[in-house]
Amino acid sequence: MEYILETKELTKRFGKEEAVSKLDMKIKKGEIYGFLGPNGAGKTTTIRILLGLMKPTSGSIRIFQENLDTERISILKRVGSLVENPSYYPHLTAYENLEASRKILEVPKARIQEVLNIVGLSDVTNKKVKGFSLGMKQRLGIANSLMNNPELLILDEPTNGLDPSGIIEIRNLINRLANEAGITILISSHLLSEVDQLATTVGIINKGKLIFQDSIDVMRRYAQQSISIKVNDSEKARNMLFSNGIKTNYENGRILLPELADMEIAEAIRILVESGVSIYRVEEEKRSLEEIFLQMTREEEDD
Amino acid sequence: MIKNLLCADFLKIKRKGFWFLTFLGPFGVVALQMVNYGVRKDYLLQQSNDEWGYYILNVSTFTPLALVLGVVILTSFMTSVENETNAWKQLIAFPVTKISVYLSKLTVLALLLFISSFLLMLFTLGFGMILELQGQIPYGKLLKHSFYPYFAVTPVLALQLWIAIVSKNQGVPIAVGVLGVILTYSAYLLPDWMIWKWPSLINEWDEPLINVLLGVGVGSLLYIIGMFDFVRRDVK
Ligand SMILES: Nc1ncnc2c1ncn2[C@@H]1O[C@H](COP(=O)(O)OP(=O)(O)OP(=O)(O)O)[C@@H](O)[C@H]1O
Ligand SMILES: [Mg+2]
Repeated sequence: MEYILETKELTKRFGKEEAVSKLDMKIKKGEIYGFLGPNGAGKTTTIRILLGLMKPTSGSIRIFQENLDTERISILKRVGSLVENPSYYPHLTAYENLEASRKILEVPKARIQEVLNIVGLSDVTNKKVKGFSLGMKQRLGIANSLMNNPELLILDEPTNGLDPSGIIEIRNLINRLANEAGITILISSHLLSEVDQLATTVGIINKGKLIFQDSIDVMRRYAQQSISIKVNDSEKARNMLFSNGIKTNYENGRILLPELADMEIAEAIRILVESGVSIYRVEEEKRSLEEIFLQMTREEEDD
Repeated sequence: MIKNLLCADFLKIKRKGFWFLTFLGPFGVVALQMVNYGVRKDYLLQQSNDEWGYYILNVSTFTPLALVLGVVILTSFMTSVENETNAWKQLIAFPVTKISVYLSKLTVLALLLFISSFLLMLFTLGFGMILELQGQIPYGKLLKHSFYPYFAVTPVLALQLWIAIVSKNQGVPIAVGVLGVILTYSAYLLPDWMIWKWPSLINEWDEPLINVLLGVGVGSLLYIIGMFDFVRRDVK
């Protein structure tokens, strides 16, 4: 399998503390990779290393099948990025900010207006960034990351500090970039809900270690935890099921069946119907992804 | 790459007072002599037969101080442009080498200071003519006193830039800068090896060219050390 970005045993130590620990990150072309982890997990550190802002203590990075250590410049020509809080020059206008980047990147002048249109800042082109709201600064940061028409976009918590409508706006923007322009996107967040509707793949980092990395569908499968049944006589129902070899739990007036295959659930229902119990409701109890995420990061802590 | 970075850096220093300071430094130095000669022109003209030479010497009393002050303020401004919103990470995540980023910053500062020195020469010449000083205009001396300090201050520039760029706390370069200005002010008392003495062009052998050559030599060395330190470190 060809990966657009691949790290091997990536490690970064600050003194004794290991901020990133043997990270094997794999991103395929066209994916939106949600890079999740609680505060201090090592997301920013990883991203800084991926951009060559920090040297890893050990491990290797390949981006576009090239070694970052030796081909940094040619790789970065095809990468756009936004690290932590957006950087900008407050005394310059939005246009001038992008012009400064344009000069370095050697792209045509027309690109400035293009990216301003993409992020919806075209009516403040000639306003000083000093007076921008946080959301506007964030969008300017994204505009800046798009200047060089990147194939890979690396965004570190691009929705940090934004209000709900700002978050949705950025989310839609990222979706558009991925779907219309076919850009591969790595986006970090400490909230699963922020990348939930966005990511195609999820990597979860906790205390520097990647504890989960797979498609969002696999992650969702964890969510279908149990079937809950509400009946008129719970006592009788549970006894009937138990005598047929099906163990159940009881919670808030509902019988909980642990994760079972479709046929087994059909069997359980048949038993109940035949024993004359009235079934009011059969529901799938979904744990939210957020709960799974929290549980995953908590389990690590218990180790 | 370096040309692009230079263009971007010149754009970034817009509206920040860089150009005004570049003008203010040399203007201030000559303005002091306007006051001096305005108040006691007759007395000053009696001090020497070489009216132009004596006048240029008077002007150059304050050149080192203004130059070192300029270096400290401009380097601090220069790094604050990137520090303000921590734009270093954005700048260095572009396809550029850290070496060229560092070189570009230095080049902008060196160019601004060069313009200052050039203006100093023009202003000195201009006011000298207004004073209607007697005798041939000593162009050699004028050039020397305008540009020798510029080259001799290179180590201070390289040092300040290095400290300002790598320090997390901007109090450090300011502290070193203030100390440097005080040392420059007391140049007469300093031993010859101290870099802050060099812009004053004084040395044991009474040969200003030594300060120029030492300045450029040691300055280049400090520049290279600073640059490699910057390259070695993780970006702020
Ligand atoms: N320059 C540094 N020097 C020392 N320790 C550092 C440095 N940068 C990060 N760390 C440490 O590395 C760990 C990971 O930090 P990092 O910023 O990568 O976390 P994060 O996942 O981005 O967190 P957040 O969600 O808060 O942004 C933290 O414990 C932090 O204290
Ligand atoms: Mg972070």
